[in-house]
Amino acid sequence: MTQDSTVNNLRESTGIEIEIGYKMICAGLPREFVTSAVKVAFEFEGVCDLLKLWDKEEDVEERKEILADIQDMVDDCASQKQEEATYIRFDDLAQIAQDVTKFKDNLRLIVEQKGGIGALAQKTGIPQPSLSRFFNSASMPRRVTLLKISKALGLTAVDIATEWAR
Amino acid sequence: MDIILTQWALDTYLELVRSRVFDAQEYKMQIRPDVLLLRDYPNDSKFGVQKFWSPAGSIPGGFKMKWHQVGSGNVQLRLGVGVWSDAILCEGYVKRGAKAEARKLARLKTHMQLVVKGRYTKCGKIK
Repeated sequence: MTQDSTVNNLRESTGIEIEIGYKMICAGLPREFVTSAVKVAFEFEGVCDLLKLWDKEEDVEERKEILADIQDMVDDCASQKQEEATYIRFDDLAQIAQDVTKFKDNLRLIVEQKGGIGALAQKTGIPQPSLSRFFNSASMPRRVTLLKISKALGLTAVDIATEWAR
Repeated sequence: MDIILTQWALDTYLELVRSRVFDAQEYKMQIRPDVLLLRDYPNDSKFGVQKFWSPAGSIPGGFKMKWHQVGSGNVQLRLGVGVWSDAILCEGYVKRGAKAEARKLARLKTHMQLVVKGRYTKCGKIK
């Protein structure tokens, strides 16, 4: 589907989610991201709330934060079942945060060698603010995000290997 | 009631620890004991104190546990909690103004809906 046909489809549909999705496409956000966001917003009121916040927000930096939140929620809502992860003691958190940060810093170096965050955003369809949050936080990286980055940059399994991926 | 740690809570703890919002001493002496009160929810009198415990906007079953002047930066710390038959710990965060709070509430609302649908990751129980 071309960007024009996506815009036309959104324009012909109804609903606040669609209306905001159309504005997002017009604002140049990745089509894949907008499609996912609108789809999830239909099911999850909180995501619809985020779309509305983006729509009425005028501050550029705050809008970027909202976009990163929307991408986070799209990823969270992709989960289809309850899962159990290994319990982690509070005393181990600092070391894990250090390990995750080191892994992301190394991956960031590779990203910079291959054109930087902006180029990665274009190749993955993940909005730039979301990628910036990914690289600047100590949260455990999602496998789906790592795979998108790996595919976009032609990385190997070793490049994206971490025991803390979820 | 059991106190369930979610992946969302764990991820935010990691970031809060990394950015040194609170230290191990504060966690063990202040934050953890308060969270453990949820085992007997709503019996402890602290749940009647608005400064410590309040509904999270209009989210059904959604609450905020609140700490004031945490860490050397004296920040206000928040923990989103979903209360059903168990207490589900969602994201912890530093309060940073009305706009950020609106985003955090939207995230909590989404996570609460995911919990109801059984689509989330449990990372153990706080005991």
